Amino acid sequence: MKQVRNNEVYVVIPAFNENSVLASTVREVLAHGYSVVVVDDGSAKSARECLDGLPVHYLRHAVNLGQGAALRTGSEFAISRGAGIVVHFDADGQHDASLIKSLISPIVRGEADVALGSRFLNAADRGAVPAAKRIVLRVGILISWLFTGIWLSDTHNGFRALSRSAAGELRLEENGFAHATEILGLIRSSRLRWVEVPVAVRYTEYSRRKGQSVLNSFNILIDLVLRRIFH
Amino acid sequence: MNSIQGILIACSVTAAILCSIIFRTKLAIRLLAIILCATAIVFVLVPDLTTVIARRLGVGRGTDLLLYVSLIAGVHVVLHLYRRTRELERRITEQIRASALRDAEEFGRSH
Repeated sequence: MKQVRNNEVYVVIPAFNENSVLASTVREVLAHGYSVVVVDDGSAKSARECLDGLPVHYLRHAVNLGQGAALRTGSEFAISRGAGIVVHFDADGQHDASLIKSLISPIVRGEADVALGSRFLNAADRGAVPAAKRIVLRVGILISWLFTGIWLSDTHNGFRALSRSAAGELRLEENGFAHATEILGLIRSSRLRWVEVPVAVRYTEYSRRKGQSVLNSFNILIDLVLRRIFH
Repeated sequence: MNSIQGILIACSVTAAILCSIIFRTKLAIRLLAIILCATAIVFVLVPDLTTVIARRLGVGRGTDLLLYVSLIAGVHVVLHLYRRTRELERRITEQIRASALRDAEEFGRSH
């Protein structure tokens, strides 16, 4: 791929009732010169006010649809604006915007179509993941592999980058959190080249509270099974 | 005819009529409702008939046969409704996405 300017990198940030941390997350991403697309997924209080003044693209779902749906809306918008690379980024501040550069570099170099952030490639990053979460993620990795045939070191990590063409092909139909596994399935069926890139994740008190609970992972599993049956 | 038979027949007829009203445009469902209603009335009036059929199929009692049949039917209905819900969800998602993309705003570019 030819040189990609930073403003051609569109960072899609889905937000559902994340107003308290959204602005600082957005500021951090903007500081690197990337374009930001905030998809307000039907938050009770519109995220517009807390974003006031920040130069972002703002889209709002009239009702809450789920993270997968918000990411797809944001990605489609980014493509329509001529994005060279689309990055998925969490609103809760657990991802580090300075790592976007290393995440997108395999795509910029033309070595991959999709770059998936992984918390388990570096020993130091691995230690930052709470023990209970690590076990759940291990199970998630196994389930992802069963469903998609892709064996990863991490799963349900919302930090990923897609080339323009890959973002166009990944038409997510899973509105909820099961989209993370669905993406792997689409990567395989579209024969996209993927790579894992080490990323550190900050488990703040806030992201821990907002994050998916252990029980919710069972919900995701059931979603996936039903999806298999009904599609 | 004892009173429970009367109640059951009244219920099946009411159900068939409601079904025919709700699915006004779907002939297949209306016919199914009428057939089911007629069958129900026959079984209510001649309860031993279910046992005869059950024996043929290797099930002990007629009531057990009815239980199994209604369980299967119930599961089928739930799955059908789930499928419909998903389809509906897909369409709503499409609409909401389209309007979100159409109404996208761009906040002030300070630089």
